[in-house]
Amino acid sequence: MRKIYNILTLSVLVIMFTFIGCASHDTAKIQAYNQFAIKTAQVGLWNEAIYRWKQIVSIDPDNAAAHNNLGVAYEATGNIQEAEAAYQRATELDPDSKYFRINYRRCRLHIRRSGAESSDKTPKDEEQ
Amino acid sequence: MLKKQHFPFSQRLQQVFQLPTKLIPTCFIVLISFTLFSCGKKFARVPINIKVQSEIDINTYSNFAVLPFVSDKNTTKLDELPDDIGPEIAQILRSVLGRQKHFEVVNKQETDRIMTGEVIEDGWLTDTERLSELGQYFEVKGVIVGSYRFYTDTRPRRYYGERYSPQQQRYIMDYQDYMQKTYLLSLRVMIIDVDTQKIIWDESYRQSSAEAHNIGSFVFSQMAPQQTTMRELSKRAVTDFTRQISPHYEQEDRFLMR
Repeated sequence: MRKIYNILTLSVLVIMFTFIGCASHDTAKIQAYNQFAIKTAQVGLWNEAIYRWKQIVSIDPDNAAAHNNLGVAYEATGNIQEAEAAYQRATELDPDSKYFRINYRRCRLHIRRSGAESSDKTPKDEEQ
Repeated sequence: MLKKQHFPFSQRLQQVFQLPTKLIPTCFIVLISFTLFSCGKKFARVPINIKVQSEIDINTYSNFAVLPFVSDKNTTKLDELPDDIGPEIAQILRSVLGRQKHFEVVNKQETDRIMTGEVIEDGWLTDTERLSELGQYFEVKGVIVGSYRFYTDTRPRRYYGERYSPQQQRYIMDYQDYMQKTYLLSLRVMIIDVDTQKIIWDESYRQSSAEAHNIGSFVFSQMAPQQTTMRELSKRAVTDFTRQISPHYEQEDRFLMR
């Protein structure tokens, strides 16, 4: 009986560690991708950075930081509408992050200053 | 003979968790390292280029005639400034605007030819009808006119610092009096729409530069020609104006999350 109990405990632990291992592998991968993307962005290789952050989003679609960073990259490459959508998604996923909100606000100001604002926006959108 | 005791795995785990005294230092180290790791910056600041549109409609106002600037009537004329400083400011503006791909500017020779016999005065700035007529001669959409005010402001100043005293063999607090002479330029720039005779742009640009003098150098600076300073300040003011009316890029920071 004791032997069975030991085997059962061991197998449960093995399964648990396997799951944790898989999860931590993904987390480590995301971390590595993100660090690499930030480094490439800092030297101006925005397309490479976009590719990495897109990969992060495909692994973890609810990663607010990745959406935010993707927004920055889109904005730097001139894709303002996509940048706005990415920032919006980031602020939806993490409404408490002041950095996401700052980026989003600055992006909307950028849209206004660059004259790229679409005419179909409602005044309510403007106030936000 | 002692027989080696074998505990089931769960009991061993229990034994491990029943030894908090051994775990406390480990937990402490882990906590400190986590705290230190989390102290690192969570974000990276990156500058990105932002396109800023012109504050005027560059599709409509694509060509300009720049008339000589006039001295502001509210100020007393400075003797040391030559009369041709107004045309010189206009020429600086022509060359700076001409470098922008969105604008065409009537050159100096053409402007002088059409303006032959005309004396530009303060009253011109408000006479939009006349300016509009001139603009039609030049075949442009906008006429740029303006006025300048150049003056100096001199104030005594005291600079505090430390100097080494050989007598006292230590650093002592010391001060030095000097005259701070500030050159100030206020440049008013107006754009008149030739078709509607309306003023579409009316802004003042202030620029200043300061220099320190002792009594001797101050006297000399009062006599010295000031065109170079005036020209430098005009360039800066004109650049500010051009920047506002032409599309350009500005750098702005964004936050990347680590």
